[in-house]
Amino acid sequence: MSGPLDSHPTNGGDSRMAVTLQSSRFGELQIPEEAVLDFPSGLIGLGGRRFALLARSDDSAFVWLHSMDDADLAIPVTNPWRFFDDYAVELDDDEAQRIGVTSPEDATVYVTVRAAPALEDFRANLRAPILVVGNHGHQVINQAPDSPVRAPLFADLKEEPSKAA
Amino acid sequence: MLIITRRPGEKIMVGEDVVVEVIEVSGSSVRIGIAAPKSIPVYREEIWAAVQAENRAAAASDVAQLPDDVPTPTKNPQ
Repeated sequence: MSGPLDSHPTNGGDSRMAVTLQSSRFGELQIPEEAVLDFPSGLIGLGGRRFALLARSDDSAFVWLHSMDDADLAIPVTNPWRFFDDYAVELDDDEAQRIGVTSPEDATVYVTVRAAPALEDFRANLRAPILVVGNHGHQVINQAPDSPVRAPLFADLKEEPSKAA
Repeated sequence: MLIITRRPGEKIMVGEDVVVEVIEVSGSSVRIGIAAPKSIPVYREEIWAAVQAENRAAAASDVAQLPDDVPTPTKNPQ
């Protein structure tokens, strides 16, 4: 590991108010109050309410979505277009209205990542992206076809050994 | 589990705010309408369960498995 963890600059601002985040992975971190995201419905099946995005640098491939209230709860997320150029998010009208998104530009999109010892086993959940809208976060169900729950992030790595075999 | 017989057009109240309506019965399929407050997301159970399982698996990710210098993906539109 290298470099300090810092809150991901989703929400900039000059407020000096900071909130303490206790992490079993990263220790104690100070999070600017304006960087705390409110998830009104939590993560699907996991709950949680307040989270922060933690990254080592602005161009980190992976960012941690870390609970402010549960030191153990954190999920790696990534910008889906970094790995899947043709990824699309479609929400049904009720869902879009529920979270207050009227156009794609309203939201910053992340997908959750399941890490593994080998990169070819990394998976991204394209079915349930996380949309950050202002200081709110929502994990939503993507209605777009071809949005698997477990999409290989490094599919190209997997093909090479099998070709050689 | 509460089991109730309903006909198309009939409804069930869950608490004060959630209305479940049987819209249509056709063979082995039932179309159901659900009206719930915005604060209550509604999911198909199998999708909810699959996402919960994946969220749990992702939350078990090891920090050491996410190095800063992952291979640069070949697909990067920006």
